[in-house]
Amino acid sequence: MKFFEQIMKNFINIYIAIVLVCLAFTSCQKVIDIEVNSSASQLVIEGNITNIRGTQYVDISRSVAYTETNNYPGVTGADVQVTDNLGNTYKFSEMQRGHYAFGPLRGQTGRTYTLTVKVDNNTYTATSIMPAAVLVDSLSLSKVTFGSTERKLIAVNYTDPKGIANQYRYILRINGKGANRIYVEDDRLTDGNVIKEELYPYDNNDETEDVKSGDLASVEVQCIDKNIFNYWFTLRSQRRGGPNGGTTPGNPPSNLSNNALGYFSAHTYQTLDIVIP
Amino acid sequence: MSFKPVYCIFLFFILFHSLTALAQKRFTLSGSVRDAATGETLIGASVRLESATGKAGAITNAYGFYAVSANEGTYTLTISYISYKTVVQTIVLNKNINLNADLQAGKELQEVVVKAGERKNENVRSPQMGVERLDMKLLDNIPVLFGEKDVLKTIQLLPGVKSGGEGTTGFFVRGGASDQNLILLDEATVYNSSHLLGFFSTFNADAIKNVDLYKGGMPAQYGGRLSSVLDVKMDDGNNKQFSMQGGLGLISSRLKVEGPLIKDKSSFMISARRTYIDFLLKAAPDTSIRGNTLNFYDLNAKVNYKFDDKNTIYLSGYFGQDNIGIKDLFDNSWGNTTGTLRFNHVFNSRLFSNTSLIYNKYNYTVKLIDDVNNFTLTSLIRDINFKQDFQYFSNKHTLRFGIQGTHHRIAPSDISTSANSSFNPLSVENRYGLETSGYISDEYVVNPRVTLLYGLRVSLYNLLGPGTFNTYAANGDITSSATYGSGKSVSNYFNLEPRFSASYIINDENSVKASYNRNTQNIHILSNSGSSSPTDQYVMSSNNIRPEIADQVALGYFKNIQDNAYEFSGEVYYKTMQNQIEYKNAARLIANANVESELLFGHGRAYGLELYAKKTKGKLSGWISYTLSRTERKFNELNNGNYFPARQDRTHDVALVAIYKLGKRWTLSGNYIYNTGNAVTYPAGKYQVGGNTTYFYTERNANRLPYTSRLDVSATLEGKDTGKRFHSSWSFGLYNALNRKNPYSIDFRDVASDPTRTEAVQTSLFGIIPSVTLNFKF
Repeated sequence: MKFFEQIMKNFINIYIAIVLVCLAFTSCQKVIDIEVNSSASQLVIEGNITNIRGTQYVDISRSVAYTETNNYPGVTGADVQVTDNLGNTYKFSEMQRGHYAFGPLRGQTGRTYTLTVKVDNNTYTATSIMPAAVLVDSLSLSKVTFGSTERKLIAVNYTDPKGIANQYRYILRINGKGANRIYVEDDRLTDGNVIKEELYPYDNNDETEDVKSGDLASVEVQCIDKNIFNYWFTLRSQRRGGPNGGTTPGNPPSNLSNNALGYFSAHTYQTLDIVIP
Repeated sequence: MSFKPVYCIFLFFILFHSLTALAQKRFTLSGSVRDAATGETLIGASVRLESATGKAGAITNAYGFYAVSANEGTYTLTISYISYKTVVQTIVLNKNINLNADLQAGKELQEVVVKAGERKNENVRSPQMGVERLDMKLLDNIPVLFGEKDVLKTIQLLPGVKSGGEGTTGFFVRGGASDQNLILLDEATVYNSSHLLGFFSTFNADAIKNVDLYKGGMPAQYGGRLSSVLDVKMDDGNNKQFSMQGGLGLISSRLKVEGPLIKDKSSFMISARRTYIDFLLKAAPDTSIRGNTLNFYDLNAKVNYKFDDKNTIYLSGYFGQDNIGIKDLFDNSWGNTTGTLRFNHVFNSRLFSNTSLIYNKYNYTVKLIDDVNNFTLTSLIRDINFKQDFQYFSNKHTLRFGIQGTHHRIAPSDISTSANSSFNPLSVENRYGLETSGYISDEYVVNPRVTLLYGLRVSLYNLLGPGTFNTYAANGDITSSATYGSGKSVSNYFNLEPRFSASYIINDENSVKASYNRNTQNIHILSNSGSSSPTDQYVMSSNNIRPEIADQVALGYFKNIQDNAYEFSGEVYYKTMQNQIEYKNAARLIANANVESELLFGHGRAYGLELYAKKTKGKLSGWISYTLSRTERKFNELNNGNYFPARQDRTHDVALVAIYKLGKRWTLSGNYIYNTGNAVTYPAGKYQVGGNTTYFYTERNANRLPYTSRLDVSATLEGKDTGKRFHSSWSFGLYNALNRKNPYSIDFRDVASDPTRTEAVQTSLFGIIPSVTLNFKF
């Protein structure tokens, strides 16, 4: 529910922020050592088909234990193919370790795409229907004041088509660096309206700096199907608050079979830029 | 000596006849017990008749009324109440007697801790178990956050009651969820008992006379929630003279005015409290802060009129509201409103009646202020409740029976917007429900050793039209839809709730007790946050949601040492819960007409051991409570269908409270708590999607937050006793005196300086926080 859910989600943080200013509030954060369970390495598939004619990618990797470094081994030698409901088959080939590609290919609105990955005698499949594209008119800049600090937000402006369920995912990059945040929205409460979707470039949870004058902000806009929306929405709702703070975390509902992690998404693609004045 | 058979028969008849005659010559002593200075009725005062040949006793009910029956004879009558001077007099019981007693408040107020009244061995004798009565005077000496004395934070120091989190008033009783507590203020349901996101409770301690918490063995007159009943009663108001009391604290100020409207017949009480953080905001040097709001206030008021000894009418109400707002961005306000009209009637010395008409409402508003992204969202839950209760006092039986009817209305979400808003106006259909119930219970003194308290509550719940009601498949799709007219029954559930408790008195100082009770619940909260949120959604039982049902058995051992100077109890319980509610991934709870499609249903179990030792007399008083417990849930769709610990499952929970009276004016007190961390889910692995580190989870709630350990201390200085009516006291407190960083939440993130590694970050809320409060009374 757009901004509102954002607000509700950060409700306690906002409250604390206010109280912090007003009282000698002593809320604090510190890094601690924790004991975690370790698990067997899991297969992770991240596949995207877009409506832009070009190379389409499927990445296959493995998860690592929590205590290890963030180096995720690519899975080599997989048999990767995508079919559509018209009977076309696109066989992907491994470009680099764990990175599979096919192209040029342009995804078509309304088509059902099925990904099949065979690796280590296991088969993983997922389907995704490419939604109709909703074109974004422009990006603009918004401001919001929390306590005594003014924050700049990047607003995405477009008109949502009436009578159709639309889901959107945005990827915000500041000077080419992806924001550590998930932006995902649907038109459950905004169907058919002129939309100003405001993206917070910063994350309350880390010390990412605010955007500054002269920064280049780019927003990739994806129209995604309902399953992919649920995937990102679940991930987002677990992002903040963590254990004891927000919802009990769990693995997001993937459209991949056979307990693979990740997703396969057929979506539309558009990207826009704005220079922060 | 030998008797011929005929004489034997004759003698037998004589004897039998005289026995029957004796049995018929029983009389009843009844009346009310009040505070001599204020005329406040005293709840739970002990009235005992003793003679060489027998003894009998009773406890005053919620309206200060008692009735005790005994054979004709001369008795020593003892009327006593916690921290009041005991009245002892000789009474000749040769007819039914009406006797109203006024007790003088004792000077030694400090000799008082949470206990079931100054009723000798009452904790051992009563068949009721799993109950705690909070002494309101105790609250003055319990150190709390910001010095705001608080009923709900104090009960969290009792065994079997777990805090919802640091500084919060949310609580969990014996493995139940926080929405499974029935919280009553003068019989009206308080749906949201927290202010400022749970840091303070809605109960202004100044206005409260009595607090009873039932953790198990719920008496049959209570129903509607699974795990506990918190029965809070407001002061009636001084009917002898005007008086004022109040306090100035760091966060808020309080003022209470009470007095007679017609002396000895009618009195009133008004108590108000308001925070003033926002006045500080207004004074802030930074102009952008000035427009923000952050406040709460509440108002308790009560009037009563006593027609005569047999008829009294009470009208009481509560109104409270919270406001949080950020200038030009958003506003959020929420609050409870309750109103209770009660009529007490004493039919005769044995039959007491109370009729109540109750209204309560909880509502919230969220406003988003922007040219484009704007809306006003409102939501409310409202009950209208009629209750008729009777209490009948017979020789060995105290019967309670009555009926109750509650009409619920839930308006889940109404959204209004400006013409050019990006949001659409929306109104989710109202839901209506009718809960009808009847109960009967009997406290039966079988013999001097065995007392039984048994009863049955029957409840009939009806979900009523008008509206369109969908039925959902497991995946959330609508399988059927039906429209019902106004007042038509959509679905109904009938439940029998047996309640049973028994005590066996080994001797004056030792007893064992056992209890079983079944409770059902038809109003459920959907909340996706661990802490209390003002926007929690309420749903009723329906064609998709079945009533929650809990069965609990408990066993207890109770002991007194040195004439009640020390009290000890140990209780074990086992509880099962059916039709527990969780929600699916990506559930949309707010403004969702199909919210019932987002739910999962499972069951729960909880068991534990509670130990409680109190010292009730002397300069040093206080208690130690210890709870060893386990609380688990099981849902087919979660954790591979295996049992997993509920979030509030904490293995060990310890609370130590000590109050020391230092000389005439100083009282020092401290409490220390230790508990195992909440059950949480830590990642077992990690991977990358969308370029970001993402965590892989295996077992649900299989990990633990670090433990919590906190010491709070306070000192109270009583003003000099000048012999005048004005009395003041200063309280100085230190919350978290050891400044320990207790865990509130843990987040995982990439290390900023080295993105190839991940770290766990613990957020702590409160470090050491000092407080000062000035209390006064005149």
